[in-house]
Amino acid sequence: MKIDLAGNPLELLPQRAVWWPAARSLVVADVHLGKDQVFRRAGIAIPSSVLEAELAALDGLLQKRPADRLIVLGDWVHAPPTDGEAWPAAISAWRARHAQLAIELVLGNHDRDLAPRLSEWRIEGHQDPIKINGLELNHEVVYEHPVAGMSGHLHPVAWLRSGRERLRLPAFARSGDHLILPAFGRFTGGFDGLDRAYWSLYAVAGERVVDLADRAVGRERGRRS
Amino acid sequence: MAIEGYFAHRGWPVLNFQRRAWAAYAGGRSGLIHAPTGSGKTLAAWGGAVEEMVEDGANGLNYLWLTPLRALAADTARALDRPLAYSGKPDQVALRTGDTSSYRRKKLLEKPPPALVTTPESLAVMLSYADAPARMSKLRAVFVDEWHELMGSKRGVLLQLCLARLKALNPALKTWGLSATLGNLDEAAATLLGPGIDADIIAGERDRPVALVSLLPESISRFPWAGRVGVHQLKKVVERIEAAESTLLFTNTRSQAEIWFNAIQSVCAWPERVALHHGSIDRALRESAEQGLVDGRLKCVVATASLDLGVDFPTVDQVVQVGSPKGIARLIQRAGRSGHRPDGQARIHCVPTHALEVLELAAAREGLTQGRVEARSPIRLALDVLAQHLVTIALGGGFETETMYREVRGTDAFADLDGRQWQWVIDFITRGGPALKAYPDFQRVVEIDGRMRVPNRRIAMLHRLNIGTITADGALQVRFSKGASLGTIEERFLTRLKPGDRFVFAGRALELVRIRDMTAYVRSARSRKATVPAWVGGRLPLSTLLADGMLALIDDFETGQAPDSPEAVAAAPLLSLQRRVSALPGRERLVVEHGRSREGAHWFVFPFAGRLAHEGLAALVAARIAARRPATFSITVNDYGFELLSAEPVELDEQEWRELLSPRSLQEDILESLNAAGMARSRFRDIARIAGLVQQGYPGRRKATRQLQASSGLVFDVLSDYDPDNLLLAQARREVLEAQLEYRRIERALDRIARQQVVVTRPERFSPLAFPIWADRLRAQLSSEDWQARVNRMLTQLESVA
Repeated sequence: MKIDLAGNPLELLPQRAVWWPAARSLVVADVHLGKDQVFRRAGIAIPSSVLEAELAALDGLLQKRPADRLIVLGDWVHAPPTDGEAWPAAISAWRARHAQLAIELVLGNHDRDLAPRLSEWRIEGHQDPIKINGLELNHEVVYEHPVAGMSGHLHPVAWLRSGRERLRLPAFARSGDHLILPAFGRFTGGFDGLDRAYWSLYAVAGERVVDLADRAVGRERGRRS
Repeated sequence: MAIEGYFAHRGWPVLNFQRRAWAAYAGGRSGLIHAPTGSGKTLAAWGGAVEEMVEDGANGLNYLWLTPLRALAADTARALDRPLAYSGKPDQVALRTGDTSSYRRKKLLEKPPPALVTTPESLAVMLSYADAPARMSKLRAVFVDEWHELMGSKRGVLLQLCLARLKALNPALKTWGLSATLGNLDEAAATLLGPGIDADIIAGERDRPVALVSLLPESISRFPWAGRVGVHQLKKVVERIEAAESTLLFTNTRSQAEIWFNAIQSVCAWPERVALHHGSIDRALRESAEQGLVDGRLKCVVATASLDLGVDFPTVDQVVQVGSPKGIARLIQRAGRSGHRPDGQARIHCVPTHALEVLELAAAREGLTQGRVEARSPIRLALDVLAQHLVTIALGGGFETETMYREVRGTDAFADLDGRQWQWVIDFITRGGPALKAYPDFQRVVEIDGRMRVPNRRIAMLHRLNIGTITADGALQVRFSKGASLGTIEERFLTRLKPGDRFVFAGRALELVRIRDMTAYVRSARSRKATVPAWVGGRLPLSTLLADGMLALIDDFETGQAPDSPEAVAAAPLLSLQRRVSALPGRERLVVEHGRSREGAHWFVFPFAGRLAHEGLAALVAARIAARRPATFSITVNDYGFELLSAEPVELDEQEWRELLSPRSLQEDILESLNAAGMARSRFRDIARIAGLVQQGYPGRRKATRQLQASSGLVFDVLSDYDPDNLLLAQARREVLEAQLEYRRIERALDRIARQQVVVTRPERFSPLAFPIWADRLRAQLSSEDWQARVNRMLTQLESVA
């Protein structure tokens, strides 16, 4: 699905990422690496294959488009690693396989106390929004006044309904020239409360991205009430 | 005897069964006492302990009394205290429930009372303290109240495990269950005490005779054939309420309760004396309704199963049941909620909501006359509960694996647990999963010096917060923007609303302001025009006993031997009509009807197996047809049968129906025919919470667990992808079959159909049996497509709307 954001042609990929050809950049948000580990630490049995799958998904994404740069709109990790944990090394190994790639991270609320790790992973962390070609890339946006740009944090999802069937899908949300990306991480929840009067959704439905605009879901809702 | 002295002092005669129970207790026996509510069951069980305490004194925590309801605990504690106080031993009974303050709990630990009234979950929490073995080592007896309520649930499984633990700590422990009448008392006793234990089953006085009074229409031809609200009977019902001192009005669902509450309030002259009571309403509001009944302030309380149990209301002199009670046990239970009448009868007024319910009531009356009651099936091999219990015991002093395996297998719920399953659960709590799967740094339970323990304090704290098996069903709190909480509503309903939408809840018309932090903020709506939430799972299926009773009754009509009860007489014209336009079903005969309408071609099948089983059966048949020829169906079910509706006619003869309803390869076909994965995913919600895979959100606790929030659906997906052999996933699939679809009932229905005559008729109009299904219009979803195909189809459908 191709869209235009303040004069920037972008492609919304079903891999829950944005391809920005002019900047030769792939943009993702809310990867939440290591979340499985946080759960295990608390005695909740989540398998570690989650991390491997997440990194493999990034591999797959980087094969799709010839990116020089990966921009992460915050929440690269779920929580800072504690001593003795093995998963940061898995990220380092993944990083070594993509040595040529530049990675920039707008620090999100989960990316606390990460400075030493970031230099280990050769990721450039930004406290402030990154500005490229008139687009402001941030972790979280002011939802009442979204500026031209992209953000994450919210993990938008859309509901598809048909009769009694309901299906929840990750979604891109757009208001004017601002785009909120779906969470890239699979092991994340979602938010479905965006005001549809201001935000239109593009749902990730398997292999395609679908413009839900306001017609399908909006009408369905209207009929119900 | 001290207890007899107390009875004499109160002027009560000692009943035979009470004397037998006291003697059995004195002989060191365990067992089950069954008798109706209010017949002296409590003192039958407790008398032995009173005697023992008067003779031997107390030396620590000697007696536990377990009750399923916190609300009952305080009343029970007083009832247990009275005979002791009379015998010169006051203040021996204390209370510990989830409501007890932590200060008070600490006091109870420091200086344990001789007798403690508590809930199964509170007992589990007590067993999770490191010194539990020492504190619980002085127990002489455990009493389990309302065992019939617990035995068919996971709470019952948890309790069985806790009892096994107490028995291991006190080999001479006496265990006594108290139960209402059940169809399978031997099984109830075996479930409570463990298989192979010789139990005394003591029958109380016979159930109070139930006087069933049906509010029948003058003419059944003017009575609606379908519907389940029944407000067309409102006038008659309000007249009855007028005439009585105080009425308890039961409905089968919360939506029905909301509708009836509003209807009664809007026509009666005493709207402030009506209250509403159901499981979603805030506890304070519920308690105020209960108190209103106790002190006579209220004239009518509209309630659901939420008031099936609980404190007695001597002031209630009338019980009204809207809609069929769906089972004889429930009918007796609800009738028994009215205070004692001089004639010793428990009277219940039943309000049928549509014509066929008149027939249900006729069958219920026959069942009552014959003294038949439904059985309750215990739950077996619930590994989620076992995992939780093992962590609890690891906290409470730890356990040695081999010994514990024997202890667990001593319960009815886990008698068939095999070594592989046991090893899996041990792996699950120690490693996260089987050794081959990667669960690095997972440490919940750790073996230290040969004993399984929980060394991590944070994990211990999280576990204690999550103990228990009753789980809120993804509910959001409903609260006024400034102030009072009204209760909870399922997330599913609320997330469909947008701000400004109106709905009825807790008897008020409300307008949604916004949803935030698991709370739906609302304000009063000016207009009363609003939707009523449909709570999921509100409707219980017709019991097998009652369904079979209906078929037997129809057989009697066929042979002209129908009873002359008012309900049977009233239902007769409807059955005659059914026979005229189609055919009558029966124990020996399955009726299948075909019809056409503007919507398409309808097939109606009437196996009388209850709505849950019909959902499975309908999906099965639809899939089997689709396997032979291309066809798409939409499905509707009710308690008597199901409908398959297709746009194009599908011709089927008797022989083909026989094949479609064959019991052969049932399980494989049914799993294939349903969106079984989707159902298992939602079933996993409870399992994940119980097994500790999902942390329950607590108000005020959110900070501590914020980073651990993940929905059960998410965990289900992650495990399905990365640990597909996880036995908890298998359990979710099994529960879908057994609990959600009533697999056993489907099996029985098909076995019966295999022996039945199959009659295919083609009535010109919808028959009396078909009409309610057609009118119900609740199209069940059926989908055997893979996920991508489903998404694509839904998108096409949505796009075609645009």
